[in-house]
Amino acid sequence: MDKLVSPDPGLMFWTIVTFLALAALLKRFAWGPLLSAIAAREAGLRAEAEAAKQARADSERIKGELAAQLAEAAARRQEALAKAAREGEALLAKFKTAAEEDSRRLREKTAAELAREKERLVGELRREVAGLSLLAAEKLLRRSVDPAVEKAVLDDFLKEVSQGGGRR
Amino acid sequence: MNFEAILGHHLLDHAYFPLFSRGGFTLSVSKHSVTMWVVAAGLAAVLSAAARGRSGAGLLLRTAVEEVVLFIRDKIVAPVFGHAADAFLPYFLTLFFFILGCNLWGLLPGSSAVTGNVSVTASLALCTFALINLSGIREYGVVKHLKHFVPGGLPSIWWLSPILVPLIFLIEIVGMGAKCVALCIRLFANIISGHIVSLAFLCMIFIFSQFGAAVGLGVAPAAVGLALFVMALDLLVALIQAYIFTLLTALFVGMAVHPH
Repeated sequence: MDKLVSPDPGLMFWTIVTFLALAALLKRFAWGPLLSAIAAREAGLRAEAEAAKQARADSERIKGELAAQLAEAAARRQEALAKAAREGEALLAKFKTAAEEDSRRLREKTAAELAREKERLVGELRREVAGLSLLAAEKLLRRSVDPAVEKAVLDDFLKEVSQGGGRR
Repeated sequence: MNFEAILGHHLLDHAYFPLFSRGGFTLSVSKHSVTMWVVAAGLAAVLSAAARGRSGAGLLLRTAVEEVVLFIRDKIVAPVFGHAADAFLPYFLTLFFFILGCNLWGLLPGSSAVTGNVSVTASLALCTFALINLSGIREYGVVKHLKHFVPGGLPSIWWLSPILVPLIFLIEIVGMGAKCVALCIRLFANIISGHIVSLAFLCMIFIFSQFGAAVGLGVAPAAVGLALFVMALDLLVALIQAYIFTLLTALFVGMAVHPH
């Protein structure tokens, strides 16, 4: 049984030759094609994963852009609404002040016209009253007065009256 | 009943005819060399077919082989060699499949276990030894590779270093040899022990039948059952030893390529 543990150089030679030949053969005919196929498949998988990641990033970006656009549109609308409301209020206030101004001017004008008319009427009334008084005095005195004197007396009287009216 | 003769017949190599002889070196076509060639040819045929499998059984074979290849690449070679794994991968794949093929072929009835021959495992260990040193030299050059045998971190005391460095160098050289001898013995002993034990169980039938045919027949079921159990164990051992030999070779070569 010594042969069980004593190496045989001939068989060692055959083993090394066989093993190295097998390594060369398999490298050429088995491992080369197999490993390159595995590498190609893994590269394909990696590329696909990369593409999927890219697509997801793209969709995320587009989603973000849409959300931003929506928010911007909403803000713009809000702003437009606020502006319209502001403008409306300003317009209303302007109209209101214009109307108030108009009405005030109209009132003032009317009041002034009324005052002028009253003044005129009062003047006319005075002249009438003075004429009547003079006529009455003439009639009372029963004498004819020289028209020039009459005019002077009447003017004096009227002046007095108007001054008295101014004081009144 | 000569158990030793039976063992010798089943486990030892037998020369069919000599080819060449000079001094102590005899090259012959023998049982184990022929078995080895058969296994190598079978592996070359099956694995080449697997690499070209496109559909049907070929694709099935390819998927199965790919699974093993990926296991060896990702669990054994890549962790040790990193980016250089691709250069070493074909060698380790061949090593694994060659040992596995020889182990499994040896379990077939009528065949012989070439990995249970110490010459075969010694040759494989020699290839490992050569690979360790060749890859170390290719990576660093002869001088630096030899320097790496002495690990860094030794105490640098002027009178101690001249003694310590050669001593460590010698120890590391012996250590590397021991690693390879251990590789050789581990594979050889695991395979041959399985065969010896199952042969012993089967021989029990004939030993007991010397007391009478009935005794021999009575022992037969137990003996066959035990032998079957050991064969099943050998199936496991065939896979494990192929894995371990490949893994340890990768580790040893890895240590030479990345010594720190």
